[in-house]
Amino acid sequence: MNIKDKLTVSAAPHVHDKTTVKNVMWNVVLALVPALIFATYYWGIRALLLSLTGAVTAVVCEALIQKLRKVPITVHDGSAFLTGLLLAFNIHAGAPIWLPVIGAAFAITVGKQVFGGLGNNPVNPALLGRVFLMASWPTQMTAGWVAVKDSAISGLNDLTRIATDLQSLSPKAYELVTSATPLKVAQTLRDSSFVADINAQAGGLNLSGRIFSSLTEMETLKSLFWGNIGGCIGEVSAFALLLGAAYLLYKNIIEWRIPLFYIGTVFVFSFLFGGIPGSEISMMLPFFHIFSGGLMLGAFFMATDYTTTPLTKKGRIIFGIGCGLLTIIIRLVGGYPEGVSYSILFMNVMTPLIDMLTRPKAFGRVKK
Amino acid sequence: MNFAKELTKGLIKDNPIFVLVLGMCPTLAVTTSVINALGMGFAATFVLLCSNIIISLIKNITPSKIRIPVYIVVIAAFVSIVDMVMAAYLPALHKSLGLFIPLIVVNCIILGRAEAFASKNNVVMSIADALGMGLGFTLSLSLVGTVREIVGAGTWLGMRVTPLTYDPALIAILAPGAFITLGFLMALMNMLKEKK
Amino acid sequence: MKYYLKLGLILFIFCAVASGILAYINTLTAPVIAERKALAEIQAREALIPNAEFEEKESDQGLTYYLAKDPETDEILGYTFIAADLGYSSTVQTMVGVDSEFKVLGVQIIDQGETPGLGANCTLPIFTNQFSGMTLEEIYVDKDGGVVVSLSGATITSRCIANSLREGIIDVKDEPNPGGEQ
Repeated sequence: MNIKDKLTVSAAPHVHDKTTVKNVMWNVVLALVPALIFATYYWGIRALLLSLTGAVTAVVCEALIQKLRKVPITVHDGSAFLTGLLLAFNIHAGAPIWLPVIGAAFAITVGKQVFGGLGNNPVNPALLGRVFLMASWPTQMTAGWVAVKDSAISGLNDLTRIATDLQSLSPKAYELVTSATPLKVAQTLRDSSFVADINAQAGGLNLSGRIFSSLTEMETLKSLFWGNIGGCIGEVSAFALLLGAAYLLYKNIIEWRIPLFYIGTVFVFSFLFGGIPGSEISMMLPFFHIFSGGLMLGAFFMATDYTTTPLTKKGRIIFGIGCGLLTIIIRLVGGYPEGVSYSILFMNVMTPLIDMLTRPKAFGRVKK
Repeated sequence: MNFAKELTKGLIKDNPIFVLVLGMCPTLAVTTSVINALGMGFAATFVLLCSNIIISLIKNITPSKIRIPVYIVVIAAFVSIVDMVMAAYLPALHKSLGLFIPLIVVNCIILGRAEAFASKNNVVMSIADALGMGLGFTLSLSLVGTVREIVGAGTWLGMRVTPLTYDPALIAILAPGAFITLGFLMALMNMLKEKK
Repeated sequence: MKYYLKLGLILFIFCAVASGILAYINTLTAPVIAERKALAEIQAREALIPNAEFEEKESDQGLTYYLAKDPETDEILGYTFIAADLGYSSTVQTMVGVDSEFKVLGVQIIDQGETPGLGANCTLPIFTNQFSGMTLEEIYVDKDGGVVVSLSGATITSRCIANSLREGIIDVKDEPNPGGEQ
C-alpha cells in the first residue's frame, strides 16, 4: 500500500469486509453455472460453446482495449467474463458462432470501455450487446429457436397432445405452437385477426382460447420451470436460475428489493391484464409470465448490477417496479414478445434520476 | 485572413460536424446512405452559399436588433426555393430527403455562419467561408454515410462492395447506428488531431 | 416608438421581397411538380396494364380505381388502384393492377417510410414480383397461411401490403357494376 492510500481521509463509518470486485464477479459467474449446465443438457454442447465464446471474446476485448488505453489490465476480476457470459445467455443455441463474438465485442467496447471501464458504464453492457444484436441481425437472433431435445414440439412440448389433431384442425395454429417460444405464442394470440383466422380454420371452435389456456396448464408451467422449452441459452430453466439467485442472496451479493419488486409487478399486472378474450381467467397466468422468457435471468442477474442501478433502498423499489411495468407493457401491448432487456436498459438510464429523487435527508440540518 | 485559408478551414480545422458539432439533425437523420448524404450536403451548401452572399451584402442595412429574424427569412426563402426546385427536377432525391429539406432552415451551420461570419465579412470572404464550410459538411456527411451504408447495407452508392457472405448489421442504418458511427468518427478525428 | 416602427418596416420589406421571389418560383415549379406526379402515376398504371385506355371510377367504399379497356375492342382488360394501409412505421401505398378475373397482374410500391433494411425492402422486385398471378384467396402472407413470402424481419410490412391488396381487390370486385356498362 502506498502512502497516498494511507492518507485518504473519508467520513465515518469505515466498514471493512472481504468483498472485492473479483470476489463478487466470480461468485455471480458461479451462480450462473447451474443455468449453463441445464442449457448444455437440453441443447447440447453448442450452448456451452456459444457461452464460452462470448465470455472469452469479452475478456480478450477488455484486455486489448485496456492495453490501448494504457491502463492496468484487470480482466482477472471476472467482470468482462461475466458480461460475455450474460450476453451469450441472451442468444439462442442455434445462433451462428459469430453472433456472440460481435455482441460481446460491442458490449465491452461501446457498452463499457468507451465510458471508462468498470463502474462507469451507464447501462448494463451485456444487455446493450443483446439489443445491438437484436437491431442488427433480427433474423439470426430469432429464427430457428433450437428444438428441445427429445421433443417434437419446440415451443410447447406438452401441446404434443393436442398438436396431432391441431395439424388437421388449423395448420396456422399448428405452425405457431411448433415454431415459436411460449411468449411468442401468447403474443400472437393477442392478434385478433390471427385469432379469427385460426378459429375459422378450425370451423368455429374456440381454438385460440384452447391454446391459450394450455399455456397456463400445470404441464406447461412445469416445462417452463425445469427448462424444457425453446428460448435463449440462459433463460432455459427458471429452476436453475433461482438456484443461482438463492446462492447470491445467501452470500449477500445481490439485494432482494429489485428482483422482488420486479417479479412482483410482473406477477400482479399479468394477472390483471394478461388474459385474452375468449379464454377463461386462469389463476396460473402470472406463473406463466414470471417463468417464461428472460425475466428470471434479467431480474436476478442483470437488474441487480451495482453500477447501473439505484443506490438507495427506495430507489431500488422504484427501479424494480419500473422494470416490471415496462416488461409487462412490452409483452402485452408492444411489438416484441419479450421486453425484459429493453425495460432494464430503460430503467438503467433512469437510475441517476431515481438516485437524485431518493437521496436520503441529511441529519442535523434545519429544515428550510 | 486570406481566401484559401477560409476555403480550407471547414475541412479539418473548423469542420462543422466533427469539430464545431453543428447541424446534428441532418447529420444523424439523413446519412443512411452516401447518396442521401451527398444530396443533403449539396443542398445545404447551396443554401449556405446564397444566404452568406445575401447576408454579407445586407449587413450594413440590417439593424442589429432584428438581424436574426432577417437572417431566418433569407435562409427560409432559399430553403423553400431548393425544396421546390428539387421536387420539380430531382423528384427521386427529393423523396428520399423528404422532410429534411425544410429542416435546413434550422440547420445551425447556416444561421451560425451567417451570424459568426457573413455578418462581419465582405462578400468574397463570405463565399469562401460558405464553400469551405459547405464542402466540409458535405464530406463529413458522406463519410458518416459511407460507414453507415457499408456496415448497414453492404453497399456503397448502391453498389455491393462487401462479399455476399457478409450479413449487414442493420443497426448502422437505423437511428442508433447514426449516433454510434458519429461518436466513433469524432473520436478518430480527435485522436488524429492529438497525434499531430 | 418611431424606431420600432422603422424596424418593423425593414423586416416587412425583407419578408415582402422574399415572398415575392418565392411566389414567382412557385409558379414556375408547381406545374412541373404536378405534371411529374401525374406522369409517374400514369407510367405506373401503363406498366401494369399496357396498351389500354384508362377511365377513372370510384367504388362505393370511396376507393378511386381505374378501369382499363382495350381502345379498339372496348374489352375490359383489368383495373388498377392504389392500395394503402398502415405498415410498421408509415402508410404503405401500393399501385396494383388486376385483370378482369381479379388476378394480380403486378404491383409497385409507390410510397413507404418503413425501416431501412427491413420493411423498406418491400420496394425490391424480389418481393413485389411474387404477387403477379396471385388470386384473391392466395394473397395472405405465409405466416397467415397464404403464399406471399414475407420479408425477413418485416412481417408487419408484408402483411400490411398483402392485406391492403386483398381489401382493395374485394372493394373493386364487390362493385355492382365495375365495368360501368349497363
